Amino acid sequence: MNKKNKESFFASEGFMNGMSAIIAIIAGLLIGFVLLLVSDSANAAEGFSAILQGGFSSGMNGIGKTLYIATPIILTGLSVGFAFKTGLFNIGASGQFTAGAFVAIYIGVKWNGLGGMHWVVGLLAATLVGAIFGVIPGLLKAYFNVNEVITCIMMNYIGMYGTNLLIRNTVYDEIRNRTQAVQKTADVPSAGIGEFFGNSSANFGIVIAIIAVILVYVILNKTTFGYELKACGKNKEASKYAGINSKVDIVLSMAIAGALSGLGGALLYLSGSGKFIQVVDVIANEGFTGISVALLGMSNPIGILFAGLFIAHITVGGGNMQLCGFPPEVVDIITASIIYCGALSLLIKLFINKLKNAKKKGEK
Amino acid sequence: MEYVIEMNHITKKFGEFKANDDITLQVKKGEIHALLGENGAGKSTLMSVLFGLYQPEEGSISIKGKEVKVNSPIDANNYGIGMVHQHFKLVHNFTVLESIVLGHETTKGGVLKMEHAREKIVALSDKYGFKIDPDAYISDITVGMQQRVEILKMLYCDNEILIFDEPTAVLTPQEIEELMKIMKLLVKEGKSIIFITHKLNEIKQVADRCSVLRKGKYIGTIDVATTSKEEMSEMMVGRKVNLVVEKTPFKPGEPVLEVKNLTIKSKSGAKNLVNDVSLTVHKGEILCVAGIDGNGQTDLVYGLTGLEPIDAGQVILNGKDITKDSIRKRSLAGMVHIPEDRHKHGLVLDYSLEENLVLQTYFKPQFQKHGFIRFGEVRKYAKRLIEEFDIRSSKGPTSVARGMSGGNQQKAIIARELDRDLELVVAVQPVRGLDVGAIEFIHKQLIKQRDAGKAVLLVSLELEEVMNVSDRIVVMYEGELVADVKPEEVTVQELGLYMAGTKKMDMRGGKDHE
Amino acid sequence: MDVIYFIVQQTMFFAIPLLLVAIGGMYAERSGVINIALEGIMVMGAFTGILFISEMGDSMSGQGLLILAILISGATGMVFSLLHAFASINMKADQTISGTALNLFAPAFVIFAARMINGVQQIPFIDSFRIDSVPVLGSIPVIGDMFFKNTYITTYIGLGLYVLAAFVIAKTSFGLRLRACGEHPGAADSVGVSVKKIRYAGVIISGFLGGVGGLVFVVPTSTNFNATVAGYGFLALAVMIFGQWRSGRILGAAFFFGVMKTMASAYTSVPVLKDLGLPNDVYKMIPYIATLIVLIFTSKSSQAPRAEGIPFDRTAR
Repeated sequence: MNKKNKESFFASEGFMNGMSAIIAIIAGLLIGFVLLLVSDSANAAEGFSAILQGGFSSGMNGIGKTLYIATPIILTGLSVGFAFKTGLFNIGASGQFTAGAFVAIYIGVKWNGLGGMHWVVGLLAATLVGAIFGVIPGLLKAYFNVNEVITCIMMNYIGMYGTNLLIRNTVYDEIRNRTQAVQKTADVPSAGIGEFFGNSSANFGIVIAIIAVILVYVILNKTTFGYELKACGKNKEASKYAGINSKVDIVLSMAIAGALSGLGGALLYLSGSGKFIQVVDVIANEGFTGISVALLGMSNPIGILFAGLFIAHITVGGGNMQLCGFPPEVVDIITASIIYCGALSLLIKLFINKLKNAKKKGEK
Repeated sequence: MEYVIEMNHITKKFGEFKANDDITLQVKKGEIHALLGENGAGKSTLMSVLFGLYQPEEGSISIKGKEVKVNSPIDANNYGIGMVHQHFKLVHNFTVLESIVLGHETTKGGVLKMEHAREKIVALSDKYGFKIDPDAYISDITVGMQQRVEILKMLYCDNEILIFDEPTAVLTPQEIEELMKIMKLLVKEGKSIIFITHKLNEIKQVADRCSVLRKGKYIGTIDVATTSKEEMSEMMVGRKVNLVVEKTPFKPGEPVLEVKNLTIKSKSGAKNLVNDVSLTVHKGEILCVAGIDGNGQTDLVYGLTGLEPIDAGQVILNGKDITKDSIRKRSLAGMVHIPEDRHKHGLVLDYSLEENLVLQTYFKPQFQKHGFIRFGEVRKYAKRLIEEFDIRSSKGPTSVARGMSGGNQQKAIIARELDRDLELVVAVQPVRGLDVGAIEFIHKQLIKQRDAGKAVLLVSLELEEVMNVSDRIVVMYEGELVADVKPEEVTVQELGLYMAGTKKMDMRGGKDHE
Repeated sequence: MDVIYFIVQQTMFFAIPLLLVAIGGMYAERSGVINIALEGIMVMGAFTGILFISEMGDSMSGQGLLILAILISGATGMVFSLLHAFASINMKADQTISGTALNLFAPAFVIFAARMINGVQQIPFIDSFRIDSVPVLGSIPVIGDMFFKNTYITTYIGLGLYVLAAFVIAKTSFGLRLRACGEHPGAADSVGVSVKKIRYAGVIISGFLGGVGGLVFVVPTSTNFNATVAGYGFLALAVMIFGQWRSGRILGAAFFFGVMKTMASAYTSVPVLKDLGLPNDVYKMIPYIATLIVLIFTSKSSQAPRAEGIPFDRTAR
């Protein structure tokens, strides 16, 4: 690159955004480190190092674990991010996730004779149910002007209580207060991936997640449908003027978002890793983590893929860090700090500009 | 001689752009001083600096001979400066009383005490004949009345120096007369007025002296009585301007748009925003819908284009009833729409220029295959339109629309709309806020369509545009058509009377314009 | 009759925190700042307040302790909300992102801090604040049984704060200026009102009320704090929107929801409902379904403060 190209690269929008993202991540990690220091300085370095290493500290098995954890949150991240691109805040990813998870487990436990297609049917059903769950806030927003944040919150609770009710009456393991085990044929096959990564719980699900990322990317950026959805999200009035049926698009958008979360729910529980839905009054955390992933990934499908992997990475690290006596919540604190610092991107951009100007003055 | 206001060598930049470039303005006490310039010349910016909304990079301000710093509107107010803004700064769900006292409330222990304020405001209102209702909500009163509230805000604070930013854009000729009377009354009492405008007639009517700005620079100050409109216009634009638009003779053809008994009710259903309106636009004709803003023109256009549903009546395009058709269908049938609000409807500001240029056509086979966008074609198309319509932007087709100037944004919209298979152009205030060069260009484009045998429905609030560009004029007042005339048959004053509802033509007989 | 008294008493415990937090949210939003961090603010406020009560439980007790705790919760909320105010107002950040970050941060931080301080994440406390019967007022027939027995001072403080807040926004010059900043900040700015300061005030008030709301939620309803307010912060948002950002309607919305929630947890005491034999989960769902249905009918003309969520920039062209 000659000098002029170099200058314009550093000044470009993309670079600035990338830099502020990186600085936000560093700032967030530092805040976590400071907290560790404050509470137990002796073990702080070891604990922090555990977080940074993530799954790498346990070799292939650890990486496999990271992939396994990343899969559902990449999907919920796509769900929230997709909705963001179309101007909607899908805070209801948790409800859609849970609905999909239940249906997947139900099919996994109760349905027979599907052979090799068992898990496929489970995934598809979960996706469909997730879509339906997402459509409701979409319909209410498009046709009744109800704020989608509220309907999504309501649906989260309805989904949680509804799923608990349904579990109690269908696939309940009363002794352990959770769902029953699904049949082996319902688990997403490992397809060699689990074995490759040190016999971990990783499976074909991560490939499905990556396919979803590609699909979302193509839809948003290459199709007329994506063009319409983004137009609706950026300027509802102008898209109406252009003849775009924004009502239908809002509903479709929420349907897709719901479908993605529902699929995420299925992938988490149909994994042969011993995961069961606990019948408690707690809203699925994966939905909220999806919001973090979407924000960190700036609603960009590729960004979401990496954000999901990153959060999974430090989550695994956080799990390891517990051995040093720190609560794993430190990872959530780090994630929250990264997002907050990301929101302060203006500050970061000013900071970068100051550095640039100082460098320029130095050169002169 | 002591000036009441002196702005010396003011330079105000937005990034690299110099909105005000070394401008000096001197206003005498008790005079009405006009600030003339076309759209984008820097007049509003200069007054915003005086009012403390912006800080200049260079220059100083002196009030009554003393140099001062105006850091905020509070300072400006303390120095006795008040401003009626072009876009009113009123809260829609406040009452008139609340709007006037905001920022200067009388309180006891923090609690609002409005009685004294109410008395003072009513007294002021009576003094100048304003007839305002202190308890009316801003959203419920007319635009002319809202302007009076803005004026009362200044009088309530005993401002001595009053700035009016393009006050007449929203008034009927009669209301403009009244405003001029009020201004003269105010200066008689010793107040000084700075009056921003681009309308030469008004300057002639009421101003003592006039300072001219062009593209951010100060051109000169003239004495209004001894300077002709042509001279002022030349100072404003920098060249001789042909104030008359050139058209081929008017030879209307078949009807293209027929509107029959169109009625649109308001949201509450209480009144008819558009009341039993019938009109026809023919091939090769520019029909102008004139009228004061808010008399139903916007709703009429929304009903015609499909943005809002209608309650009764028919819309027929080239013989086909499109009353119930979707917006997309009307667009494909040949109705193109250059919208009133380019930011609300005309563009997706966060999309690029090329993405905006295919906003109405992205689904056509030319630009997509099986639902996938053909980016190469889009780029080619955008490049062609950019060249044909001289659309300027920082990065060409990939520039973000938000970063383009108003004039170029509007050109993009017009390029997009006129470069299609069209039968009828619905253009609403297509040249609002643009400089003379852009205005000339856009009018030429509309006339080109008309000369090619297309039909144009033009909605305009600018009487000069109405008189110069149209072949036929209808006037809307309170949702109804009250006049149907040819520009050569009517004077501006008469139009004003129609627009104010004072005069009504018998429309039922129907003048035959075939 | 006892059943009705019980329902009224319980409703108070559910409705008052919703009311306080929703009014707090109203102050922020009507000043122009969207504050979805209410959940996080409640958690932080509850945390410091309960921690205070728990630590001081040996040396102090009774209403005095509770009032001090309320002040501490409120102060915590105020400080925590400053983070949101700074990001939204000074940094002109996306207010949804900032709010979400705070919501994520609070429960994680609280669990972390609790574990570091006490070794476990729950913070138990001794409830020495229950008032069996308010002197004099509790003896009034019917009214006394309903409102002045089996109650907490938090109810009265909460209602008092509500009345004060409703009065201030409608009848004071501060309230007038705040409302202007949320609808048309340019208008406020042009008459010399500092939009920045007013918006800071709006967010800080929402922080105070949110923090107090968190404590007021936990004290009457349990004996330990487990780093959560069960989504009440989000419910308060729903109440605020349901109440169309107006004090009077928010009051109604908060109590509507409070009654529904009470029914859900107390239906076993109502013979009619108990006999229906509906599963517990159905009752838990009812407040949310009911809210959805009501929203369908009332949202057509929903009008949020016009300038909310849009950072104010005087020079914006």
